[in-house]
Amino acid sequence: MKLKDQFRFVQQNMKKNKTRLFMTILATAMSVAFLIVLASVGFGLHKSIVKETLERRIVTEIEVPGKEIESGGFSVLTDKDITFFEKIEDVKAVTRRKNLQDYSFEVDTHQTYAQAVVANMPAEIAAGLELAAGRLPEKGNEILVGYHFVENLRPAAENGEEVYDEQGNIKEEFRFKEDLIGKKVTMNVLKLEEGKELTESLELTIVGIRKQPTKEWVYDPLVFVSEDVLKKVEAFTGTPRGMMKDSNNADTDPLSIPADQYDHVKIYANDMESVKAITTELEANNYPSYSVINELKDVNVMFTIVKAGLIFIGTIAILIASIGIYNTMTMAVTERAPDIGIMKAIGANPGTIKKIFLLESSYIGLIGAAIGTIVAYAISFIVNFGLPLIIKQAFGEEPPEGLMFSHIPLSLPVISFVICYFVTILSGLRPAQRATKVDVLQAMRREV
Amino acid sequence: MITIKHLSHEFEIGKKGSKSIIPVLKDVSLEVKKGEIVTIVGRSGSGKSTLLNLVSGFIRPKKGEISINGVQTSTLNESKFADFRIEHLGFIFQSFQLIPSMTAYQNVELPLILKGVKESERRKRTAEILELVGLLDYQDHYPGELSGGQQQRVSIARALIVNPPIILADEPTGSLDSDTEDDLLKFIKKLNEELGITFLIITHDEKVARIGHRTIELRDGRVLEEVYGYEA
Ligand SMILES: Nc1ncnc2c1ncn2[C@@H]1O[C@H](COP(=O)(O)OP(=O)(O)OP(=O)(O)O)[C@@H](O)[C@H]1O
Ligand SMILES: [Mg+2]
Repeated sequence: MKLKDQFRFVQQNMKKNKTRLFMTILATAMSVAFLIVLASVGFGLHKSIVKETLERRIVTEIEVPGKEIESGGFSVLTDKDITFFEKIEDVKAVTRRKNLQDYSFEVDTHQTYAQAVVANMPAEIAAGLELAAGRLPEKGNEILVGYHFVENLRPAAENGEEVYDEQGNIKEEFRFKEDLIGKKVTMNVLKLEEGKELTESLELTIVGIRKQPTKEWVYDPLVFVSEDVLKKVEAFTGTPRGMMKDSNNADTDPLSIPADQYDHVKIYANDMESVKAITTELEANNYPSYSVINELKDVNVMFTIVKAGLIFIGTIAILIASIGIYNTMTMAVTERAPDIGIMKAIGANPGTIKKIFLLESSYIGLIGAAIGTIVAYAISFIVNFGLPLIIKQAFGEEPPEGLMFSHIPLSLPVISFVICYFVTILSGLRPAQRATKVDVLQAMRREV
Repeated sequence: MITIKHLSHEFEIGKKGSKSIIPVLKDVSLEVKKGEIVTIVGRSGSGKSTLLNLVSGFIRPKKGEISINGVQTSTLNESKFADFRIEHLGFIFQSFQLIPSMTAYQNVELPLILKGVKESERRKRTAEILELVGLLDYQDHYPGELSGGQQQRVSIARALIVNPPIILADEPTGSLDSDTEDDLLKFIKKLNEELGITFLIITHDEKVARIGHRTIELRDGRVLEEVYGYEA
């Protein structure tokens, strides 16, 4: 029997009891919609969290805090480690910074506090550093300031209270309005000696301003200084990185830190895909690392479990609906036993009869799944659109922007179709088997 | 065409413990040759229907062999027998056995659908056969909208549509009046003479029995006698 004819046959048969058919399809559709909507919450939250994480961090960035050593603990990274990192495949750049302290910087009548950092310029450029104005430092007294450096400059003489507006920003009239490029800057380095605070002023020149970071929320007031400045600071304070002496590090010797040790090392991968390979390579060589991708891995594992759980609960709903399909099919077989008997008498193959009934049950399942999917999309849309409004009404609070309550990726309807199809075949199997067992003579006798 | 050798059959009735065995056919051997009409007569309960059901494959023999058209049908499995049946056997039943939810046309077309014949060919063939049985004008009627004789002709059309070499009939005229019965018998003869179809017909009606080239009488599950050439 041709498939087309089987279909036509099934359609004819299904017309025989429309109400029953409708109710069965309705139950199936409801269960499928339930599965999809339920799981879509898992998918929606997952997507929102991933999106948020990716927006907050640079995806290709891998932070390496140090190297694990055999005696336990970490060793600080040096040029040897940097060289190793740079040789790893798909590494675009390895930035390494030495962090000094926060110092007061004076520009004309204005003043601010900012952290000084010694950065490796070629590496920073390779990692994507760009200038908004000016050029890169060349001489030892030339510095490069961050985009937000100027925003923090305030008149040194003014009383603190009046300078700031309600949001804590410096009021328009007190802002530094001149061009920073070429400005002389005084960097005030402090040290404590016998309880007294001593200051040394270093004269520096701003030659460049870094571009505004691409991510809006990144705040960049850092001042990039040269190795020269670092040496001067260490010579003055007598401590590594210009630390203020206190009871904790009273006898720290500046020479105990080799010149090629870095406080802050970040590896930049060529693309997101190579991050995993790089971190694996790092791990194999005893370098622990942090990256968004690794962080997301844990999030993904957790949400995969959550989603699987939700789909499982939804599957139970489909299983319950399948009892309806089983019932419908069993009744259909009983009702049609005389017809089945006649068909068998003429020479219908039992396999064909089984196929027809399986086709009918899967037909119910697939129509139900299709309707359920459409309904689920509608519900999902309404939830995403309506729930924020309800939350706003009820709690007077805006839900986080871009938060998705329900998300239906294509895979979800596909999964539910597969589950639904599988379950309907399963529930149609026994009735179909029964249909093939109809006794010809008995069925034909009933006709008389 | 049909060869039956040492066929015995018995029914078991009742549940375990109080089982009783009813022997119905006892060592039946007979042969139906190609192009023959053979009628089987016998008293009610003599096992005629059982014999035909065994040949049809609706029940399986306990002992003995049946071969049809050179095929040992008694050893075929259900699925194989179904395929064999649709190719080789046509059936005419006393109570017609038409599917009530299908029109005359659809009932006649059904065996071709089951065989997987193309639609265009099916349409041609179904119309031809309906024409042959004189029911072309009634093709859209449901069985409930046809007379007994018309229904029987639909069922004959359904039997003929796959061009079976053999037609098996159990009391084909049992539900028909005398005039319709005559028509049917004439038609059977015509099919036998013009298309060379072999018939095995069960009846307790002497008029029907007479159309056979040979008549076999069953009594208590045994072949009692063969009567040759009613016609001659
Ligand atoms: N399915 C069955 N189970 C048990 N016994 C059966 C079954 N079918 C038939 N019999 C018995 O087998 C015997 C023969 O029945 P069968 O139907 O072959 O007779 P028949 O010759 O066709 O009679 P009739 O002329 O009345 O149709 C009967 O005694 C009947 O009771
Ligand atoms: Mg009988």
